[in-house]
Amino acid sequence: MSVQISDSAVSSSHGWTSVKRGFADPLGRIGFGLVLLLLVAAIFADVITVYEPTKMLPRDRFQSPSYEHLLGTDQLGRDLFSRMIHGGRVALMVAFPAIGISLALGIFFGLASGYAPKWLDNTLLLLFDAIRSFPTVMLALALATIIGPSLQTVILVVILFSAPAYARIIRTQTLALRSAEFVLASVATGASICRVLGVHVLPNIIGPILILVSMDLPVVITTEAGMSFLGLGVRPPTPSWGSILNDGYAFIRESPWLAVAGGLPIIIATIGFTFLGESLRDAYDPKLGKVS
Amino acid sequence: MLFYAVNRLALAIAIVVVVIAVLFCMVYVIPGDPVRIALGPLATPEMVASFRAKMGLDQPLLVQFTRFFASVLKGDLGTDILSNRGVATSVFEQMPYTLTLIVSSMLWAVAIGIPLGCYAAIHRGSLFDRIIGVLSVAVIAIPSFVIAVYALLIFAVHLGWFPAIGAGRPGAPFNQLHHLVLPSLAVGLGWVGYLARVVRASMLEVMGENYIRTARAFGLPRRTIVYRYALPIAVLPTITLLGVGIGHMLSGAVFAEIVFARPGVGKLVYDAINARNYPLVSGTVLITTAFYVLATLIADLFVAGLDPRVRANLR
Amino acid sequence: MSKQSGLTRRQTLAIGAAGFAALVSPRIVFAQNATILRARSYGDIQVLDPAYRKAAPEDDIMRSIFNGLVRRKSADSWEWELDAAESIEQIDGKTIAFKLKPGIKFSGDFGEMTAEDVKFSYERIADPAKESPYKDDWAVLDRVEVKDTLSGVIHLKEPFAPLWTSTLPTGSGLIVSKKAVEAAGGKFETSVPAWSGRYMIKEWSPKQRTVLVRNPDWQGDKSDFDEIHILPIEDEKTAELGFEAGDIDFTWVSVSSIPRYLKEPPKGGKFVRKPSLAYVWLGMNVESEPFKNPSVRRAVQHAIDAAAVVDAAYFGAAEPSTGIVAPGLVGHRDKVLYPYDPDKAKALLKEAGVESGFSCTLDILNKAERASAAQAIQAQLAEVGITVTIQQHDSGTFWSIGDEKAGEKWKTIQLLLNRFSMQPDPSWATAWFTPDQIGVWNWERWNSAEFGELHKQGLVELEPDKRDEIYKRMQDLMEESGAYVFLTHEAVGVAYRDNVTPGLQPNGTPNFVDFKKA
Repeated sequence: MSVQISDSAVSSSHGWTSVKRGFADPLGRIGFGLVLLLLVAAIFADVITVYEPTKMLPRDRFQSPSYEHLLGTDQLGRDLFSRMIHGGRVALMVAFPAIGISLALGIFFGLASGYAPKWLDNTLLLLFDAIRSFPTVMLALALATIIGPSLQTVILVVILFSAPAYARIIRTQTLALRSAEFVLASVATGASICRVLGVHVLPNIIGPILILVSMDLPVVITTEAGMSFLGLGVRPPTPSWGSILNDGYAFIRESPWLAVAGGLPIIIATIGFTFLGESLRDAYDPKLGKVS
Repeated sequence: MLFYAVNRLALAIAIVVVVIAVLFCMVYVIPGDPVRIALGPLATPEMVASFRAKMGLDQPLLVQFTRFFASVLKGDLGTDILSNRGVATSVFEQMPYTLTLIVSSMLWAVAIGIPLGCYAAIHRGSLFDRIIGVLSVAVIAIPSFVIAVYALLIFAVHLGWFPAIGAGRPGAPFNQLHHLVLPSLAVGLGWVGYLARVVRASMLEVMGENYIRTARAFGLPRRTIVYRYALPIAVLPTITLLGVGIGHMLSGAVFAEIVFARPGVGKLVYDAINARNYPLVSGTVLITTAFYVLATLIADLFVAGLDPRVRANLR
Repeated sequence: MSKQSGLTRRQTLAIGAAGFAALVSPRIVFAQNATILRARSYGDIQVLDPAYRKAAPEDDIMRSIFNGLVRRKSADSWEWELDAAESIEQIDGKTIAFKLKPGIKFSGDFGEMTAEDVKFSYERIADPAKESPYKDDWAVLDRVEVKDTLSGVIHLKEPFAPLWTSTLPTGSGLIVSKKAVEAAGGKFETSVPAWSGRYMIKEWSPKQRTVLVRNPDWQGDKSDFDEIHILPIEDEKTAELGFEAGDIDFTWVSVSSIPRYLKEPPKGGKFVRKPSLAYVWLGMNVESEPFKNPSVRRAVQHAIDAAAVVDAAYFGAAEPSTGIVAPGLVGHRDKVLYPYDPDKAKALLKEAGVESGFSCTLDILNKAERASAAQAIQAQLAEVGITVTIQQHDSGTFWSIGDEKAGEKWKTIQLLLNRFSMQPDPSWATAWFTPDQIGVWNWERWNSAEFGELHKQGLVELEPDKRDEIYKRMQDLMEESGAYVFLTHEAVGVAYRDNVTPGLQPNGTPNFVDFKKA
């Protein structure tokens, strides 16, 4: 469930001040703190954890938290704290490439659609809307069966759903800017379309897009976790929050700690990114705060 | 209005057509041969050929697509290859379970979310407003399957207050309601937050409008202003949201149905994909997508009919 | 059963990791004064025609609404007792005479059960033109001779050892009404044209429940429960939750839950552990690189510590196995030939020229216990330098990966973790590894003519000692090939409400008609 930024055009950019204003908001600071925690944990995972996340000691299965195992152990006697921390890497390893590629595609198709002849614009728009009309989970399930479960599949699913959404927003922004005076002036001086798009249009829409991205990160993390929860994401023994949570579901009576180690970081990550994105957005342009 | 309605309807139809085309293509790339699955590995080449002919799989792709499309228009979604029942029959049998789940989730989310948002708006800036603000963002962010697993762990396994699985005994409404609590908690919780936010924002906006200010100036009681004049307008945007919400909730319902082993279309499609029951997969996805498109369409038209400003803003 | 049967049949066997349903209500629900037993099955019904049945849950229901000449006893050893037959006698290896009890009624206007119905029911399964996936159960049937209304003689073309264990007392031995089935067009699916058993079907809500009620026409001993509700729940962990929440009265539990339930029985219920006949093994595709090389296969055999794998996956609930024939059956072996010995494994890999290690894939079914076992195997093979990538598949994909007719995937199989379930005859285990099963169910693609010959001999050999020898030799051959690492037979855990006494076959398979109120 994503919080969407409205399609309304934004014409001004005042990046740095809004970042500062975003941090003035306590919610933004909490969000930033959580995100920072997540990033640090993912980057320094090897330093923070004592155990290999895949090291098995079956005899020590389902231990409760202790000094040796901060979050206890799972069904194969693996250290849950270690798996949780390394799971963060997997989440980010999916999130960043997936969002990056979606964004690139979204910008390309959004600009193209905004500047294209009416018929092409309409066709693209129809396609965007059709893809967005599919029930997400069902299409993800079907795709994972076609391609086989893996992290790449998860990334593909995210791209498939995010790129059209980005493209649609970028298209709206582009349309609005297209008739803005400084763009018209540039066109009048004989600048090429590429130049107009690259120099005038793109820089003006990048702000809202970045906010959109930060708001979208929790959705991506959720998608990865959800697919891994259904066994359609990472391959064992790689730890992912979703697959740890799935173990927690399977062994729900043996130990509650698996569900904690799988679910808690998902909650922290989604809340962290959402808080951060929200306050950045409010600071950037309070008008965007209205849900479409 | 009429122009908008026709336009919107055309868009909805076009989307469904594209969806059908995508589904049709998908069935052809999923590994595993549906004929082999239907007949088993001992099937002779003759049996395979005759089954293919029966299902029309021996025709050129374009012919097959036209046929598929034509039969969909006639309401025939094909035959479930494992049980030999009509796909539409299976889907419509499961649909009520999912609809019950979605509608009950929506109802409790509305019943709690709208008053919360409204109250927060009236007491803007209060501690309560802030707490609601933070909580609503938080519950929006948490994925429904995490809530489902935790609800199961806490309320069914440890406390034993609610049943863990199934939809309850047929003909025992109280029992069924009891079974509905945890799944609809999981599906609806995020929407409480979402609705609270939307209503709060829209309420604040409405309260600033001229006619409300006028009403105040006339000294109408605050209660009357809020509930008779402001709220009905402020609730409008939630109607479009409910349309979109059906789609999101469908996704949530898939997880809830899996976690709580409830019957429903989510479970149906999950099992069908596992069994490579293609006609059932495409039929289910088609119906649910059409359902979603329809819900959005109705919500949009409804709102557009009510409020010309919304109509102007919608595209 | 000299050769194969359908995918669906193997699935019947293989999928039921902890399948099956059973019964009894928690507080025994006295709704409308009826006693109801609520049993969980691992799948919904698709076909209730004995000749075309697909999975074990259908079997359990069919045995409640139809009768065979004999039926399997609810007991701790594999025995049968008379059902529709008043008497049955093996005259010689190829001739069996039977006489039906008088007065067994088919529902509707289809009258009394006759020898003509027995003839129809068995010959339609045997007839290759009818394409029954179970035709091998009656592969040696010559004909059923009708003597008079109630008596007849079954003539076999050759002696058939599994007749009394995996043909007559199973779904393939059930009797349907000739008139009714012919009126229904020769076969049926879920709308049963006529039943004769202790129960009849009152209602079927797909994916929800199948409701059986007592058949008023049944003349024999009455079963205890007025109604049996069979609820399809695929995942046994979910079923455990349902049992503990009081939603079901009988279920198999997952193997890894057995230790927990042995320590502390589920709330409001009892728990028993039953020996399982199923077998789990790690297979190697002998046509794939580098497993083409027998030394590599032998190295893998020595590198796997089956006891550790089994402990990791089942938390101590199951024992390592020595082959594919479970203890207690003819042909069970005492020990493996190539036990865990990592040093030998390393030496063999060196000999094969792959001492620096290699990477390969391991295909598994997407289930918690299978994933645990696979990860233990992955860790053990890493010790000798083999890097394993685990590929999890949903059941639809998994059950077709080795099937030549289902695509190209069979070519890319390297390691494979698999489980088949069993009937109490060793021929049911060996049937799937013969040369004519290559690319059907023999996914290791191991080709041993000797094994194929021995399998045929085992079917017609009636002398238990000689059969014992044959099946031991066959498992030796499998192990010598290097393509198989035998892991476990698992175990069966059965949970039932404490006000119910379940009727169970030795491996925990429920006989619904034998369930009693405690």
